[in-house]
Order: sequence, then structure tokens, then C-alpha cells
Amino acid sequence: MRVLLIIPAYNEEENILNTCKKIENFSKDIDYVVINDGSQDNTLKILKENNLNYINLINNLGIGGAVQTGYKYADENNYDIAIQFDGDGQHDVNYIKDICKPLEEGQADMCIGTRYLDKTSSEFKSTFMRRLGSNIISLCIKMCCHKKITDPTSGFRAVNKKVIEEFAKEYPKEYPEPESTVSLLVNGYKIEEVPVSMNERVAGTSFIKLWTPIDYMVKVVLAIIIDSISFRRGGKK
Amino acid sequence: MQKQLAIALICILLIYIFFILKAVKRKNMRIGYLIFWMITAVILIIALLIPDLIDKITKIIGFELPINMIFSVAIFIILYLIFNLTALISKEENNTTMLIQEISILKRRVEELENKNKI
Repeated sequence: MRVLLIIPAYNEEENILNTCKKIENFSKDIDYVVINDGSQDNTLKILKENNLNYINLINNLGIGGAVQTGYKYADENNYDIAIQFDGDGQHDVNYIKDICKPLEEGQADMCIGTRYLDKTSSEFKSTFMRRLGSNIISLCIKMCCHKKITDPTSGFRAVNKKVIEEFAKEYPKEYPEPESTVSLLVNGYKIEEVPVSMNERVAGTSFIKLWTPIDYMVKVVLAIIIDSISFRRGGKK
Repeated sequence: MQKQLAIALICILLIYIFFILKAVKRKNMRIGYLIFWMITAVILIIALLIPDLIDKITKIIGFELPINMIFSVAIFIILYLIFNLTALISKEENNTTMLIQEISILKRRVEELENKNKI
């Protein structure tokens, strides 16, 4: 099984080197590719100087476009499993095996690393507001697709070859995590969740500001409803 | 209609037609759009030359005042245009995203190959 970690990075000069070194130390069998999404800081310089494997986007695309570049790369280089992995040190390399297991055994097409499943002794279970937001999105997905996804906004997720091909062709750009989950569910792919623990961000700022959660929630809920209709009509190609 | 107003309208119309002709000459607009703009120009010219025509159409359709009809029709045409434009922009956005991704991946490939050749 060839495994690729897709690491989207936007202004991650403080974290990116650490993240890559951790991956290199963790296992030699796992490849990674950093997608530099038009960072304005020294991210690109660090990537070059340390000879890390990267793709430098010539223009800023946002998280969805950056991650899709990774899936295209995975598709072109024939990887069996692609894992989305944050460059800011939130995700823990030790869970890579766990998250790949359901895919290797053929139980699922996508496996999401979930913060809220009870088994984890996570230090970072996220704030109340974030959990509330997750619950609302989760409920919305359940109503539209009849499947419970505990942590639909988790950016730590592994997909198999079929889904890599699908994502390389079409990947939602505005709210990629919940929307891609819906598109897979609607088209009959199987999704599993495994408990993981996540670290607090080591450096840098989270993309969610004070007032934006409400705005984000409304748009995500609408996007899920629209996707669950439009993707279904489009059908599986 | 008062004379000054009529003259002002004719001037604006002439400028409008001038812009359309310029666009035709430069060939930087799709023919479909050009035809649309030309038709609107022709309609405006007819309306200016034969004001009675608009009165008659208003009565046939059933509007109280000609101005109501003109505004309604204009708003619907503009709505249609804006809708088409947002659809077009989204499509173009997808195209540029795709291009940026493919170019960036290609650039990486080229760099890799160059490095291999050096060694």
C-alpha cells in the first residue's frame, strides 16, 4: 500500500518543518507532499532549503483547491491511500496507522479521524462552540444522507484509490470537509470514523474568528442541503 | 417628451452605439453578447423614434403607465444578465483553479527532472 500525506500549508513557516520531520522520523514508507498555497511568509523558502517534497501553487487557491492539488498528485503517482494532514501540528502522526486500517481492510472508502469519539483521552477536545457547530453540521448530514458523522469538519482523513480519483476530478472548494463528506455519502461510498486525539495549534492562528462561526454554520448547512440534492442528481460517473 | 430630454437621450444612445461598434471592431467580445447589446440598442432607437408604439404596447399588455412596463422589462433583463454572469464567473473560477493546479504540478515535475539531470 502506497500512502501519501497531503499537507496543505498557508503561512506555516513556524510549524511546517517540524511536521515534515516528524513524518520522516515516524516512517520511511510514508510519502508526503506539502502544498504551499501561495504563502506570503517564508514557507516556500523553508520547503526549498530543507529539500522537502512540495508543490508550490502559483496563486492562492484556498484550502479546497490546495487539497485537491494533493489528490491530483496522488492520482497521477498512483497512490493507494491519500491522507489529509494539517501542517500546523494539530494532527498526530501516530494515528496514521489507525486511520488507514479501515481502508486497508476494505471496510470503508474514507476514514475520518474524529476528535469527539469517547474512547480518546484527548487533551484537545475543542471548545464548546466548536463542538456545538460540529453537532449541528453532523445533524444536518444525518438528515440529508442518513448517516451519522460525528466530526464532519475534521481535516484528518484518509481516502482510498477510488475516492482519490473522484476527488482529483471534482472537489468542493468552499467548505471542503463537510461538503466532500456529503458528496461521498450521496454517491454510496462508505465512511468510517476512528477516534484520534489532536493537539492544540503549536503556533499561528486558527482560521475561525469571533463572528464568523455563525456565518460559517449557515453557509455550511445550506451547502450540505444543496450538495445532497445536486450531487445525487449528477450521479456516479 | 421635452426637446432637451430627447436630445440628451439621443446623445446617450449614440455613445452606447459607439461603445458597441468599438467592441465589434476590437473583437474582444463574444458574438452572442454583441448581438444582445445590438438588439437592445435597436429597441431603444425604435422607442425614441416612435414614442406612440410604447404607449400602444403598454395598453395591449395591460400596464397602467408606459414607465412601469419599461422598468419591469428592464429589471427582468438585467436580472437575467446578472444571473448569467454569476454562472459564468463560477465556471471561470473553476477553470482558473484547474489551470493553477495543473501548472503547479507540472512546475514541480520540471524541477524534479532538472535536478535529476544535474546529477
